Amino acid sequence: MRRTHTHRLLFALLISAILFTPAYAQRLNAPSPPLKLTLPLKDGSVRFAVIGDTGSGTAQQREVGDMMIKYHALFPFDFVLMMGDNMYGGEAPQDFENKFAQPYRALLDNKVKFYATLGNHDQALQVNYENFNMNGKEYYRFTKGNIAFYSLNSNYMDKKQVKWLEDELGRETAAWKVMFFHHPPYSSAKAHGSDGQLREVVEPIFLKYGVDVVLTGHDHVYERIKPQKGIYYFVSGAGGKLRSGDVDKQSGIIDKSYDRDLHFMLFEVAGDQMYFQAISRTGETIDSGVITRK
Amino acid sequence: MNKKRYIFIWVFVCLLILASGVAVGQKTQNAALAEPVVVSPADKAAIDAFEKQVKSYIELCNKVRANVPKLSTDSTPEQIHAYRTTLVNSIGSARPNAKRGEFFRPETADFIRRTLKTEFQGKDRQELRETIFETETQGVVLRVNYPYAQSAELSEMPATLLTKLPQLPKELRYRFVGRNMLLVDRESDVIIDYMPDALP
Repeated sequence: MRRTHTHRLLFALLISAILFTPAYAQRLNAPSPPLKLTLPLKDGSVRFAVIGDTGSGTAQQREVGDMMIKYHALFPFDFVLMMGDNMYGGEAPQDFENKFAQPYRALLDNKVKFYATLGNHDQALQVNYENFNMNGKEYYRFTKGNIAFYSLNSNYMDKKQVKWLEDELGRETAAWKVMFFHHPPYSSAKAHGSDGQLREVVEPIFLKYGVDVVLTGHDHVYERIKPQKGIYYFVSGAGGKLRSGDVDKQSGIIDKSYDRDLHFMLFEVAGDQMYFQAISRTGETIDSGVITRK
Repeated sequence: MNKKRYIFIWVFVCLLILASGVAVGQKTQNAALAEPVVVSPADKAAIDAFEKQVKSYIELCNKVRANVPKLSTDSTPEQIHAYRTTLVNSIGSARPNAKRGEFFRPETADFIRRTLKTEFQGKDRQELRETIFETETQGVVLRVNYPYAQSAELSEMPATLLTKLPQLPKELRYRFVGRNMLLVDRESDVIIDYMPDALP
């Protein structure tokens, strides 16, 4: 009996010690940084956001959604590209609600369209979901302004898909060619890293047809890869799950990375300029810059 | 002078040996990666039999799907769930006596195993093999006519491998679960057949 009391007392002391440490108190009371937009908001530009590996249904995923709507007020983007793993651990109707519709409800209500790609946790029938705008297709293309977006199914890059990609790129007339899919051909992350066999198949096609930018997820971090053979690669795989400390900063392939919190990205394309900004769950700008099309 | 020349010749010979060693090593690795699978007449017959089986499955599936309400491209989660459930049950009912090995017959399995063995050679392919083994497939019941567990991860099928395996129609997919290779109905995720110990 006395022993139980002692244990309770020690436990209470331990909890108090944790709660009243300055670091914890600071974290609880830390004010969010003021929202800062680095994008130029040019007239007639194409504006979109990017999120990846979102479908955890956690409070943190919802906080990213909340931050996106705050930035939407500053930077009214029209659509969002999803990098796959849209739903983890099951796809019952309630999962669609908890892991997608609810976190992004405010954006959906603002008529922001989502364009999804399939990750290694996504079932094939997601292509028919009304809010993913995939039109029943595992890989598809759409254009916005002077940009052609290609969503690929990197889980299953078979001969048929490769042929489709070559055929479409062969007759492409849009100025910008942007690919988005789940597995990153280049990544420093320790958990997965570069997908070499996928790169072996798609990179020659990207080079042949002058692809400008490749957006991916899978690794639960943010990475801006050093341009590879003239192509810009981003890994944006921490919209709902984080693998803290996963970036290998010694890899030599990264220009900028972030693996301390969840994030999303904003893009603005005006003529030959593509501006980008990566933002953390709490609103901190973690990267920004501009890509000029050759 | 003679001593200097002697040293120079030895350094030159050593460099030559080193360079040739590297070149041979590279060639061996590249050759291993690029080595095509030799398709014998027996293999060709096995592939033909496999494709014939696939074709008959598609015909059967088309009949099944004709009796299932069509899923639109702007469906609600409830409609998707109902469609999948109906499809799983309908495919199961249409193939009540389905058993393992109907598609992956011994001759086809032998060809696929050799293809996999060739494909998974080399250091980078070893990493790929490990990635497949690390895929979280808990909950998947390896049984014909059973749906692949929705909570389980899907292993990425290597793009380089897919160019070497018999091409499947859009209704079917190859998939790995550990060392086993599965043939899965794409929409319903029902396991149509599987091949144990496919990966080396």
